[in-house]
Amino acid sequence: MTASKKIVLLGHFGVGKSSLIRRFIENIFSEDYKVTIGVHISKKKVEISENEDVSLIIWDLEGQDDIKKTRSSYLLGSHAFIYVFDLSRPATFNNLGTELNFLKDHFTNVPVKVVGNKKDLVTKDYILQYNDVFDDLVDYYTSAKTGSKVETLFSKLAKELI
Amino acid sequence: MLDNYQKKYLKNNFQLLLVDNEGSILEVGNPFIKVGNKLQDIHPFFESVQDLLLIKNQQHSFSCVNLDFDYDNFIVDIIIHTVKKNETVVIIENLTKHYNNYQITAQRRNETVINYEVLELKNKYLLEKETFKNNFIANFSHQLRNPITASAIFSKLLLDTNLSSEQKNYLDIILSANKDLKERINDILDVAKIESGKLILSESVFNFKDLLNELITGYSIIASKKGLDFKTELAFNLPDYIRGDAYRLKQILGNILSNAFTYTTKGSVHFSASLNYIRAKKVNLHFEISDTGIGIDQSQQEEIFERFTKVNEQNNRNIGLGLSIVKHLVEHMNGNISIESQLDKGSKFICNLSFKLANEDDIKYKSSLKELRPKFDTKKNLLLIEDSELIQLSVLKILSSDGNFFLNIVSNGEDVIASVENQEVDIILISNTIQRYAAEEIAKSIRAISKETRKIPILALSSEVFRDDIKRYKSFGIKDVISKPFNDVSFLDKIYKHVK
Repeated sequence: MTASKKIVLLGHFGVGKSSLIRRFIENIFSEDYKVTIGVHISKKKVEISENEDVSLIIWDLEGQDDIKKTRSSYLLGSHAFIYVFDLSRPATFNNLGTELNFLKDHFTNVPVKVVGNKKDLVTKDYILQYNDVFDDLVDYYTSAKTGSKVETLFSKLAKELI
Repeated sequence: MLDNYQKKYLKNNFQLLLVDNEGSILEVGNPFIKVGNKLQDIHPFFESVQDLLLIKNQQHSFSCVNLDFDYDNFIVDIIIHTVKKNETVVIIENLTKHYNNYQITAQRRNETVINYEVLELKNKYLLEKETFKNNFIANFSHQLRNPITASAIFSKLLLDTNLSSEQKNYLDIILSANKDLKERINDILDVAKIESGKLILSESVFNFKDLLNELITGYSIIASKKGLDFKTELAFNLPDYIRGDAYRLKQILGNILSNAFTYTTKGSVHFSASLNYIRAKKVNLHFEISDTGIGIDQSQQEEIFERFTKVNEQNNRNIGLGLSIVKHLVEHMNGNISIESQLDKGSKFICNLSFKLANEDDIKYKSSLKELRPKFDTKKNLLLIEDSELIQLSVLKILSSDGNFFLNIVSNGEDVIASVENQEVDIILISNTIQRYAAEEIAKSIRAISKETRKIPILALSSEVFRDDIKRYKSFGIKDVISKPFNDVSFLDKIYKHVK
């Protein structure tokens, strides 16, 4: 039997949560920004090993500039969180520490992956400039546009959940 | 009657399901979503909330859930109510229309916020770039000032020696090139000051008619060299003395005149100054400078006030910084400037500027200054703290020509205190380029020696003449700044102003 795992994507609006999911599930990307309202739920089966796979049920939440504004029912029964921010917009990662602490405090045993998206828009020097903020917190620098690290993010997380 | 309406609307908007713990569908009411045997097979949403069915007497609400199917898409609110063991009611309310309207609003709001953030970042980036550029220009120009000052002063001194006429001609060319270079550097610094918002207008009483006559005399020489007719017209009712920034007024008029003479090869240049009005102790002046030069096509007239604009490739009208500075200065002085021009026929610049009128006391004081440059009973002692030999020699030459001063030179910061303690000093000049020591630190140390040394006027010899620099200097007891590059007149004016 295939296990189901609920993964919730959180973060400010316009950071590329929906684009990351589209890249992962359909392997496509669109420059057009369409705001997500409420929640979209998608599903993809990921092969863990030859005889084992897992169904990722991915909740793509409407972006919020404050995690506390998120409807609590959306987070019920989550097996993992992916917190996404936009590397090119400091407003989306200025409160990264506080946002992550909220998750830690309310969902003690639920793993959180922190993702700096839109890597294609910034340089390595730019990322180094924010090293103090990113260094210990960020797990992946991704680009939904180029697909960089998107597959790795979801497949590694899937393995961790089994 | 109401029953019929209720049936119609409730049927369309609500779907109710009764399911057991395993998610098997026991009953379905008013379906708008297609269902099979299992709740979790309807949509991944239900698969991920399956565990909630196991806890009885609980109610969970999920608003704005997007349910996308092959046959249709819905945005719904869902309530899952575990009524009793093994029986759960799922209520789905179709709010697609309502949420789609909300989506339009959210889309607009988010796009506005994102665009604003992006613009703010771009602006920040541009400002950082601009600040870097302005600082670079200021520092670089500063480094050029010592050699330019020395070159100008020594060329001038050389001119007074026994030279052949050929040598004098060469020296004239050197002096002219030096003057040109100095003006270019000042232009670049002015632009840097203007763009970084550090330009300050000084305010003092000056003889307006003298200023105009100086300009006219200077450009009459240029006109005769170029074989141009220079017509001037000064209204009879112009005020003698006004209060404002004389240096900047001269720069505005000089830059426009210089532009007119540069682009006129035959015909004339006309300069007029008249009075618009006097109101509330303020005078509004009107200036016109016209020429019979190459002119500018109407489509390009706005561009000539932009820096480094090459307006007309054909006749090679290459505008540098002069008119850009004029435009900024005029705006800074709350005035206005416009241009009327026809290609191949000539141009006319029209400028209106306001100044405060000088009062009686101001005029008396200013007139008395003309008699100044006092004769001292004994020579005064000037201590120069400077490690550039070029500047040391330049100051020495200026002071020896003047004859009223003894010059003592200290070339390094370590010797300053001993030098001040062991000799009589009437005025101190500290260079801002002395190695390892800031002029402010040296001034602070001198003032700390004794009560007497606190009274000695200290001036800085510096190219840092921005508002913040002057303020900083003053906070350390530096009374005034002699700006580099200097000449004999500007140098001595400042010295006589402070020495007693």
